[in-house]
Amino acid sequence: MKGYRKYFGKKIFWFVLTFIAAVILNFILPRLMPADPVASITGKLAGGNTDAQAVAQIYERYQEEFGTNLPMHQQFFKFVKNAIHGNFGLSFSQYPRSVSDIISSAIGWTIALQLPAILVGWLLGNLLGALAAYIRKGFDKVLLPVSLFLSNVPAFGMAVVLLVVFGVYLKVAPTAGGYAFDMIPHLSWDFIKSVISHYQLPFWSIVLVSIGGQAVGMRSMSIYELNADYVKYSRFLGIKDRKIVGYVFRNAMLPQVTGLALSIGTMVGGALVAEIIFSYPGLGSTMYSAVTSADYPLISATTLIITVMVLIVTFLLDIIYGFIDPRVKAAQFE
Amino acid sequence: MKKLIALALAVMMVLSLSVTAFAAEGDVVLPREETLYFAGQQWGAVNSWNPIGTNQNNSMAIAAGGGQRTIMYETLYMWNILDGKLYGLLANDDYAWNDDMTQLTFTIKDAAKWSDGTDVTAADVIRTFDIGVEIANGTGSTYGPYIESIEGEGKSVTINAKLNDAGQPVNPLKILDFLELTLIAQADWIDQVYEANDGDATAILNDDGLNDAGELEVPYTGPYTRYFDDDQKVIFIRDDNYWGQDESMWGKLPAPKYIAHAMYADNNAGDNALRNGEVDVSQQFTANVQDMWEKDGLPISTYYMDAPYGICVGLPTAWYNMNIPVIAEYPALRKAIAMAVDYDSINANAMTGQSPTFVQAPRSLMNPTDAEQAMYDHDAVADLQWVGNDVDGANALLDEAGLLDTDGDGFREYNGEKISLTAVCPNGWTDWMAAMVEVANAGAKIGIEITTPYPEADTFNAVFTDPDQTEYAIFMWSPDASTPANPWSRVNQFMGMDYVGVQNNWSGNWGQYVNEEADALLKQIPTTTDEATLKDLYTQLTEIYLTEVPSFTLMYRPAVFFTVNESVWTNYPYEGSTHTMADGTEVLVPPTDCTDGFGIAALYDLELVG
Repeated sequence: MKGYRKYFGKKIFWFVLTFIAAVILNFILPRLMPADPVASITGKLAGGNTDAQAVAQIYERYQEEFGTNLPMHQQFFKFVKNAIHGNFGLSFSQYPRSVSDIISSAIGWTIALQLPAILVGWLLGNLLGALAAYIRKGFDKVLLPVSLFLSNVPAFGMAVVLLVVFGVYLKVAPTAGGYAFDMIPHLSWDFIKSVISHYQLPFWSIVLVSIGGQAVGMRSMSIYELNADYVKYSRFLGIKDRKIVGYVFRNAMLPQVTGLALSIGTMVGGALVAEIIFSYPGLGSTMYSAVTSADYPLISATTLIITVMVLIVTFLLDIIYGFIDPRVKAAQFE
Repeated sequence: MKKLIALALAVMMVLSLSVTAFAAEGDVVLPREETLYFAGQQWGAVNSWNPIGTNQNNSMAIAAGGGQRTIMYETLYMWNILDGKLYGLLANDDYAWNDDMTQLTFTIKDAAKWSDGTDVTAADVIRTFDIGVEIANGTGSTYGPYIESIEGEGKSVTINAKLNDAGQPVNPLKILDFLELTLIAQADWIDQVYEANDGDATAILNDDGLNDAGELEVPYTGPYTRYFDDDQKVIFIRDDNYWGQDESMWGKLPAPKYIAHAMYADNNAGDNALRNGEVDVSQQFTANVQDMWEKDGLPISTYYMDAPYGICVGLPTAWYNMNIPVIAEYPALRKAIAMAVDYDSINANAMTGQSPTFVQAPRSLMNPTDAEQAMYDHDAVADLQWVGNDVDGANALLDEAGLLDTDGDGFREYNGEKISLTAVCPNGWTDWMAAMVEVANAGAKIGIEITTPYPEADTFNAVFTDPDQTEYAIFMWSPDASTPANPWSRVNQFMGMDYVGVQNNWSGNWGQYVNEEADALLKQIPTTTDEATLKDLYTQLTEIYLTEVPSFTLMYRPAVFFTVNESVWTNYPYEGSTHTMADGTEVLVPPTDCTDGFGIAALYDLELVG
């Protein structure tokens, strides 16, 4: 138990250090962009005003409101102080909306789209990969090239193909939005059906691409494991095939679990392509527009979410690894 | 696996439902035959309903395109880009100047009422202007320099112009702009907001116009009000008590019960929805728009059924930065580049032919409408106009000016160094980027190196509005399109010296061009009413502009695009179509998306197909 505590104590220390570094970078990097969002807001307000002094006054007022008149380190401490209370300030691009408001209305859609898509893609991919390794023959001959093809299709390519084929030509799926263009959200079967039908294309555009990559990885790992000595020995001992496959799957899965954890950690950013192409609501497209409009507070907040998610997932992974693989556990206690 | 997918879907649904609001009453599925769908105006969630606020991302209710949008809040007058006239909305058609143009008077319609049933009065107009000046909102900062005060009682209003040192009005034209561009807010409501925010300017500007329960608190005068909005759409519902059904205004209610606008991620998504009949009116640029009906056979149309398809009143322009020595010193260089550009290619590539050519609307300071084209003497400046692609002429100009290629590297030199310029516009503005490429190509043909960096829009904005910048040599921006103050306002943006040295300059003369003669001519225009004198002034200004070339227009472009799908609604504005006013007169309806300026008249004439 002592070794356990020491191991995780050390881990937590490094995670905290990484977190602090990430927060500082999240804050500083967007602010190094050669843009002046306060000037944009001033411009929209002052349009037509030729009185230089009046324009300067408006500019100063907004500098004060956003705190951009303070030196960078003071801005940073203010940001940290507010962030602890869940207040990320006001957005530049959607001013006067608050960053927290923007994120809270978008993040549900992103999680609802990404989490099931990542899990389904991961499970289907690994299952098919393991089956291909185990069955080989015809199944593998078809699956491998298909998987290779799918895993190499860029996400935006897959999304556009699905949109054009199913949305524009076959007209079996809607092309934009999270629910029907003629509805407002309410609790009814029609609305739920509409949400599901709008969910289809973005969902499959993510799933199909990830199936390929997962299947290829799992297949290689499984083939490697199937040829391992312990498999041959187990067969020699007459252990049932099903049992052996169980061992093989568990061993081959390790690197795949890492992949799953990381894709869950980065899902906020990963939703970008599907969200933009299908005009689907969510945090990915919010982040994209924040970057293009130099909306520092929104960029810092969304990147902070990604940082925290990756750190948490990596930390959990360390714990889960111990359970999945006793060898890792042994190493952790050393 | 089935269970897993079912579970995943269930999780997804619960989550998506939890992030969206529920409508308490009314239609939850909008009847298609009672709803007019839009695209291309609203690109993100609505963040405010406050008509005296700032930076609203509420394009359907609080914005201007081809005139102010008046579906929810209303202006005193409506601007018609086709005939260049103001038509009464909240006010009667009786506005009049006194002799020396220091006072403008008009009356408010007797029928005009707020949504709470109270009368619209002079007090509302006065308070809207006064609060604007006090909190420095758009109205205050735009019109404060031109309006001294507004006074009046009951339904009578007098606007007192600000006077210059000579006792003349600073600019009567800007006061006409005020009439058609200022959304009038209710005086009582302004007082409430003022008190609720303790008179703090920033807090008043940021007030979103909703109460803690998220309900609209702002009284309005327009035919529609907020029904529903979230991150994906905004819906307006008709107010069947709208005062405008009075005979003194429209005499009836607008045809659609609902106006809805979904947020599309980009133009492609909006175009797909238009093709599918999910959008009726699209304010988007669609490349080769004619393919939709010619090739695809869809019931889609535009104002003109042939090129240029729409009314082009905008003049996207390449501005020369006078902080760059070689540019400031050599008008010949400025003119040579402008002469060598292939404008037909820009029209073909950037606008897919949706712009009148420079043969059809010769280069001047005017937009291509008949009203503005009549405002200068075409013959007097014919020798100065160019249609482009004139490489020989451009080379001859440069040779004559002494800008030569002395070291034989294919590029001309200035002070012994290769002339190397940039031509810049924001990244992703593909039609503008195509135009900048043509400028660079023109440079290559005449021995001037021109590169085309495309910064993100926000970076571009920060640089081009800085009067001291030397980063962009040539950059693209559009001057004013069409308002009552135009073409003066636009010409002032091209050559007026008011904007020289102004920091955060979003107002005009972005190249910081200085010309005392032009500035003096410009100062005479706002108070000149004699048409012949006006024409002479504009002709002189055109001569200076085409000789000095402080900037050059690259194409003509609509203030708002207008493409409609006629599968549900029909009788949209088309070439020559008119609206019958209460007094029986016929007025041309501009294709300003059924929402902007006098274009809103179209809402009253729409009919269902079949």
